[in-house]
Amino acid sequence: MVDLLTAGVAHQVGACTNAGRPSLCRGLAADVEADGRLLLIISAEAGREVLDSVRENGRIALNMTLPENYKSMSLLGRDGEVSFGGGVYRALVETRLAAFTEQLLRHGIPPEYTRAWYMADDEHLMAIRFTAYSARNQTPGPGAGSALELKR
Amino acid sequence: MSAQFGDGLSLFGVRRMMEGVIPPTLCTASAEHMPNVSYLSLAEYVDPLHIALSYQFFNRSRENVLATRRAALTLDDPYTGAGVVLQLEYLRTETEGPVFERLRAKLMGVASHVGMAEVFHLRGADIYRVLELNRVPGRRELPGNAPRVDIATNSRCLSERMANCEDLAELLETFLQGLSDLLRIDHAMLWLSDASQSVLTLLASRGYDHDGAGAEISIGDGIVGTSVREGVPIRVGHMMNMARYARAAREGADALGFAPVLKCEIPLPGLQEPRSQLAVPLRARGRVLGALLVESTDDQHFGYDDEDALMLLCGQFAVAMSLMQPQEQEPPEPKPVAAAAAPAAGAGAPVRLRRYMRDNSVFLDDVYLIRGVAGAILWKLVGEFQRNGRSEFTNRELRLAPELRLPDVQDNLEVRLLLLQRRLAEQKAAVQLEKAGRGRMRIVINRPVILETDQNRRATDRPAS
Repeated sequence: MVDLLTAGVAHQVGACTNAGRPSLCRGLAADVEADGRLLLIISAEAGREVLDSVRENGRIALNMTLPENYKSMSLLGRDGEVSFGGGVYRALVETRLAAFTEQLLRHGIPPEYTRAWYMADDEHLMAIRFTAYSARNQTPGPGAGSALELKR
Repeated sequence: MSAQFGDGLSLFGVRRMMEGVIPPTLCTASAEHMPNVSYLSLAEYVDPLHIALSYQFFNRSRENVLATRRAALTLDDPYTGAGVVLQLEYLRTETEGPVFERLRAKLMGVASHVGMAEVFHLRGADIYRVLELNRVPGRRELPGNAPRVDIATNSRCLSERMANCEDLAELLETFLQGLSDLLRIDHAMLWLSDASQSVLTLLASRGYDHDGAGAEISIGDGIVGTSVREGVPIRVGHMMNMARYARAAREGADALGFAPVLKCEIPLPGLQEPRSQLAVPLRARGRVLGALLVESTDDQHFGYDDEDALMLLCGQFAVAMSLMQPQEQEPPEPKPVAAAAAPAAGAGAPVRLRRYMRDNSVFLDDVYLIRGVAGAILWKLVGEFQRNGRSEFTNRELRLAPELRLPDVQDNLEVRLLLLQRRLAEQKAAVQLEKAGRGRMRIVINRPVILETDQNRRATDRPAS
């Protein structure tokens, strides 16, 4: 999974309120922390609704897709915790952005376009930490949604 | 036309975000509020309040939608980096009709683009009501690309040029040339429907190695065949593998029993690797008379504005085509033609004109020329030339000729004559057709002709002379 995280994936983050209202936004970066939990960085501007839902019930879905082959997986959590991220995560965001930009360039999408999605200021960088209790294959096709084994 | 949502947005105004270069992203949730995020192949504008999403697989998203009927969707602008997020309510799944057919045809192009052509099967078009539409905040949007041309102004100019045309040949030339000159559409084909044969026949093309007049495909094949069958425009902005698409269409044609047609086919013109295609039906008097297919080697070459403009222009072309019957002259009194006055066929070795009665396909020295109504007309004209020495004919007498059994003749005769004329010219055939005044045609035969049919190997042993 770490290989996928660093390969230049697109991050899409989903959440849902207790009233059943789904929401989603682009993630800026993801990483695995020393304790095995996942760290996800999103923009407070674009992800306001997602952040509110995660604060409400901790439920979160992270989809990571590699543009070059649409290889895709989803990680689900029930214990999502939101905290301020700030500039300490700027380097991680930039590293992930560089890899993602390289991926999209192969599809003819210019860097300035990709950057339009990632231009969150430091004060808008928010962190979500969660334990993945389930992983699913989301590669488009008949097998989309099937469970993947999680190694602890 | 447009319902206003948040941020002053309308669904109509964000149509171009549904082009599919950047796949739409869907978030659903289970009844227990556990979210699930997945990419979709296609989103399609239906009307100011509704959107259709492709349904290909029964997966977690599908399960969630059926359980809760709610979803959120994000769309990205392929030009500016702007994004919108929609709150959706699932209404129903359509498995037929124009929306389904548009999605299905587009999906075939998209599927090959993302390397999943083997799973392009569309199970349904899921129709959603749009509850909310808002701009994704925080994006640093780029300025949009300058438009290729001023589509509205230049379309008006082309429309005026077409309105001044006096006959079908001029109309056709004006239309195709105008697409190139005014709208910068350099590759175009005009297909005509022959409902009695369930085929589309290529009337003319522009921007290819060969014209291909008379080439045929089955109605329902490819995006142009589907456009005619459903009477709707179909636009694909990023086809990466047209060859696979064409093969699929060919296999479909074979499965439908069109092998005999394909054996005598005229090579299709077309780009080797088109990246964008748009098929627009020719509609007039409540019927679909054919379709215009335009294509480009650039991704996203055609936008919604092109689609809207071409719908209007194609409608004008279709109405003009169906009304453009010349002031026909009464057929001349049959007058005895003195042998000396009879027009002479050219000299040289005779050519064989062979007709297959089953579908009126006509071959000249084993080279397939044309079939159907156009084939029957050619046979009649050459036969009259041989038997009576006549070389000039009025459209009216052809229209009334019982042996031709013209279907839908009010729409078709002028078009079939033009098609035949173009096909003979392209082949540089020994038999040519030319206009001889208003409502009159002249056949020009440059070499002796032997007429044969498949029922009677040699209809006449006497070459035209």
